[in-house]
Amino acid sequence: MDAIEYFEVESPEDAGREYYRRIADVVLLDHNLLRVIKKLHISIDPRIPLFIAVGVTKKIPRVIKVGDIADVNVQERKVTLSIGDETYLAPLLKILWAEYGGDKVVQPDRFTVILNIEGADGRQIEEIPVIDPSEALYKDLIYALLVIQPEGFKVRRQYYGKEKFYLVASENTLPENFEELVKEKFALMGETL
Amino acid sequence: MNLVPVTYKGGIYRHDEIMDLIEDLGGYIIQKHVLAQEVVLQALVPREDIELIARIGKPLTGEITPSPLVGTEIAVVTMSLEIHHLPHASCDVAEYVRRMGAKTNMVGLARGFGKRIAQLNDEERDVINEHDLAVYLLGDFETCIEHKFPVLRRGIHVPIIVLGGPSTETLMRIIDPPVDGYVGNVGRFMHRTKESEELEMLDQVVTEITRVLDKKREAIAKDPPSVSPARLMDIISSQVDEIHEVLSPTPITVQMTGLRVKLPYDRFAPLLKEIVIEEGITISEVAEILPSRMRDYILLRIKPFSETNIMV
Repeated sequence: MDAIEYFEVESPEDAGREYYRRIADVVLLDHNLLRVIKKLHISIDPRIPLFIAVGVTKKIPRVIKVGDIADVNVQERKVTLSIGDETYLAPLLKILWAEYGGDKVVQPDRFTVILNIEGADGRQIEEIPVIDPSEALYKDLIYALLVIQPEGFKVRRQYYGKEKFYLVASENTLPENFEELVKEKFALMGETL
Repeated sequence: MNLVPVTYKGGIYRHDEIMDLIEDLGGYIIQKHVLAQEVVLQALVPREDIELIARIGKPLTGEITPSPLVGTEIAVVTMSLEIHHLPHASCDVAEYVRRMGAKTNMVGLARGFGKRIAQLNDEERDVINEHDLAVYLLGDFETCIEHKFPVLRRGIHVPIIVLGGPSTETLMRIIDPPVDGYVGNVGRFMHRTKESEELEMLDQVVTEITRVLDKKREAIAKDPPSVSPARLMDIISSQVDEIHEVLSPTPITVQMTGLRVKLPYDRFAPLLKEIVIEEGITISEVAEILPSRMRDYILLRIKPFSETNIMV
């Protein structure tokens, strides 16, 4: 597993900074997120109080298509899908049912799905998107940051996309210039939002 | 007779003999756990008979160890019951203290989190005040602890021990007026305490609790309760049959100067009042019978000797 390139916690209190470094480390490890984060900067100021977490993720796997998880074998009156990776089998079946109807989709065993359709285009089936892992991943990431942040910071603003994310939280109204603060933190990591 | 709190651990085989022995010697069994082939008894026994129990228990692979927290009920006050504090920190402390013999209850505050927004409501305050001692688990930042703690201690009159992330010295500095005990470096953390230095930290918590409770015991000894809480427990459990149908691990919880009886107040309070302890002295003469804020339980506060002039 690759280590995180940049990981800093800043806070005016030394003891608090060390505890939160450990907390962030444990939470990200527990949620299996260390392998997707490239850079992470957390800043906690209990005096305001304000919590800012900014980060950059590694390249996130693209949209997974039917062709990525199954071999598509087109015969005259049916199409056989041999499942290679059953991780996404449930969403795949859901999509196939919606597309072709439940009565046409047969699953004789765990690793085989048969579509009773005629004249199908194998290439077209292979291209059906099954799931976009980045969506779930960013949600997990924001959830993990909510676990890391001190509890009770109910006012928050979050953003994710284009391999960057941030979360700003406080128990009071967020400062008006919080976007500038976020940009400053990105600059500390040598990145721009 | 001077009763001391002990824990007896031994095999399940013939453990009833040990239970009979403790009762015959004039001791009281506060709680009994059966864990597969092992029995753990938390009991109060006469100091001079510990040797005897150890000798009789030896062939039954029994071990007797002093555990100063037996017979106390401790509130572990956690700022919320969210994932931020559970299971680690809150449960780790509560469970460790429980292993030392105390009955711990976790009090999760509805709005204990945050700095400005932290608050304590009347129910939480009353529930905490029903215990012998309150252990407050606070966070990692001294700024927040300094700001919010005065709100969280308002109206609490039982001894308080503060646990927090900053060092013990810092906690002592920022908390004013002082509380009864402090343990630093036990703030918010998200991992299980299993390394030796972390267990040492929990041992420090137990030491601090023991120290504060010993001080409280000394104060109580100057004006002792009219009847020993353990004896009262014994009397209630022998005279009120319904208590044996209660499924809680401790249907009657022993405190330092009282009892929590886990039966509905409305039905059983009049019944308890009339129970005779000895020579016509009823419970209502030596104790206040109050409704507990915890569910519909009954809380017995035993009056001190100076108030009743009765010692049974």
